[in-house]
Amino acid sequence: MTRKALLTLLTLTVTTTAAAQEAQTVRLGFFPNLTHAPALVGLERGTFQKALGKVKLDAKEFVSGTTLTEAFAAGQIDIAYVGPGPAINAAGRGMPVQFLAGASEAGAVLVVRKDSGIKSYKDLGGKIVAVPSLGNTQDISLRHILNENGLKPKADGGSVTITPVAPADVMAAFAAKRVDATLVPEPWGAALEAQGHKVIGSEKTVWRDGKYPTTVVIVNAKFAQANPQLVAAFLKAHTDAVAFINKSPVGAQTAVNSQLLKLTGAKIDPRVLQRAFSRTRFTTSLDLAALTEYAKLNVEAGYARSAPDLAPFIRK
Amino acid sequence: MTAPPLTPDQGLQRVSGPPRWQALASQLLGLLVILGAWWLVTDVLKLYPPYVFPGPKAVWTEISYGLWGTGPQDGKLLSAIGSSLRRVLTGYAIAVLLGTIVGLLMSAWRPLRTTLGGYLTGIQSVPSIAFVPFAILFLGLNERAVLFVVVLEGFIPVALAVSGALLNVPPALRVAGRTLGAGPLGLILRVLLPASVPSILTGLRTAWSFAWRALVGGELLIAGSTSLGELLEVGRNTANVALVLATIIIIGVIGGLFDTLLRAAEGRVRRDYGLEVPQ
Repeated sequence: MTRKALLTLLTLTVTTTAAAQEAQTVRLGFFPNLTHAPALVGLERGTFQKALGKVKLDAKEFVSGTTLTEAFAAGQIDIAYVGPGPAINAAGRGMPVQFLAGASEAGAVLVVRKDSGIKSYKDLGGKIVAVPSLGNTQDISLRHILNENGLKPKADGGSVTITPVAPADVMAAFAAKRVDATLVPEPWGAALEAQGHKVIGSEKTVWRDGKYPTTVVIVNAKFAQANPQLVAAFLKAHTDAVAFINKSPVGAQTAVNSQLLKLTGAKIDPRVLQRAFSRTRFTTSLDLAALTEYAKLNVEAGYARSAPDLAPFIRK
Repeated sequence: MTAPPLTPDQGLQRVSGPPRWQALASQLLGLLVILGAWWLVTDVLKLYPPYVFPGPKAVWTEISYGLWGTGPQDGKLLSAIGSSLRRVLTGYAIAVLLGTIVGLLMSAWRPLRTTLGGYLTGIQSVPSIAFVPFAILFLGLNERAVLFVVVLEGFIPVALAVSGALLNVPPALRVAGRTLGAGPLGLILRVLLPASVPSILTGLRTAWSFAWRALVGGELLIAGSTSLGELLEVGRNTANVALVLATIIIIGVIGGLFDTLLRAAEGRVRRDYGLEVPQ
């Protein structure tokens, strides 16, 4: 009897403290890439902060899905713009991940060095191909492309060396002839193209005629449960940012460029940015079928033994 | 075939040394305690979520799939061990050769010893991983960059050990060698080197552990081909902490096994040279 009373009391205390602990900050993770444009535009135009009201927005910039997933696992990030690869891996390992919305589709291209002699996917045999990081979204796509063309990565007994190089460093790696080709998200593809390098895989031929997610928004499931209003407000701001990008691309490009300047100290040629924009689609919808196929490619690439059922991870 | 006769101290050890099985049993017990504590913290008490600290069972799954799994993506640990060992043995061989030559030169020529000797000690204090960015720029994102770091780390202890050992050879031996008619080369090959074998072996053992650590550090940053370092990176990138821990365990086991082998050789040589008096 006493024990029962104690238990009830304990439950009560826990519930009340949980209710009182409404988050004071929303910690947001994203990359300085065009495929994360809704984050860049939302930050530049103050859309997120406005929607969150008194709650402070703490935006953190990451260079790869790996470090972002680590921060997510350590509970240092509440909401994140991330590629489907790391998001699916996180879900498969049992992290408290919820897919909140889509952000961008396509927007990844396969660029070859101008003097590499590569003309088609089949010529990638024996070459060194860079991806942003091993196991990331572009790496998984690249392994699928190789598979479709009868090629194999070196680690699986084939001839193609897949090496992780941060997109910002690919230009230097091309100049030094250390890398022959790369599968990169925009705007890096368009920037490499502006230097005379060739796109042999457009955003459409990379996979599924371009109908694949490149960036999604995920939220920590525990955070979402404790702060439903904050998550709804953020989702509304994200939707507004995507609508703004689709309604006034020129304004969005200006916003993206000035945010990139603040983050990376470098501005992108407006023509490059425009081309990169034309290869990326911005949307809030989540394509479960495409995500599920991605999870299967993840298994095909050897990064997981089984594809998780993603439906329970989609936030209703 | 007749068994080689026992040396006096081998006989002594049999009688008074601690029984070998006792040491083995206590080591086994220690392992069981560690495994038990690990299992208790992760699988039983669930103090950490599995994506932060997986239990021994999950790690064992990765090890077993990685070593003898037969699926299309299995067996990766085995091939990674193969190529990492090939790399480290190549680098180690070069390091030993280079280190011996440099050590010989340093012992023979004082100006080289006072200049290069000091620098080598300085370079040795720089962690191998610090050389990786330079190696990448200098040699490219490839195997040679990894070998460079391995050789650089491995050859210094060998060079220092060889030069130190040669200098510590008692002068009486030199004099005796010369008196008995050894030329400069004969003196080195037949008197000085054999006399310094115990110290050189200690250097070789240090060089091994340096080279092995440098290899994994280099592979971690110069991923791109099958290696233990790449598996660590893949495990990290795919949120597969079990794979990360499995790889760490394999790295430790291989490093430890080689060290044990070298230690046994060293102990053997020290006994044969009468440097170790068994308790």
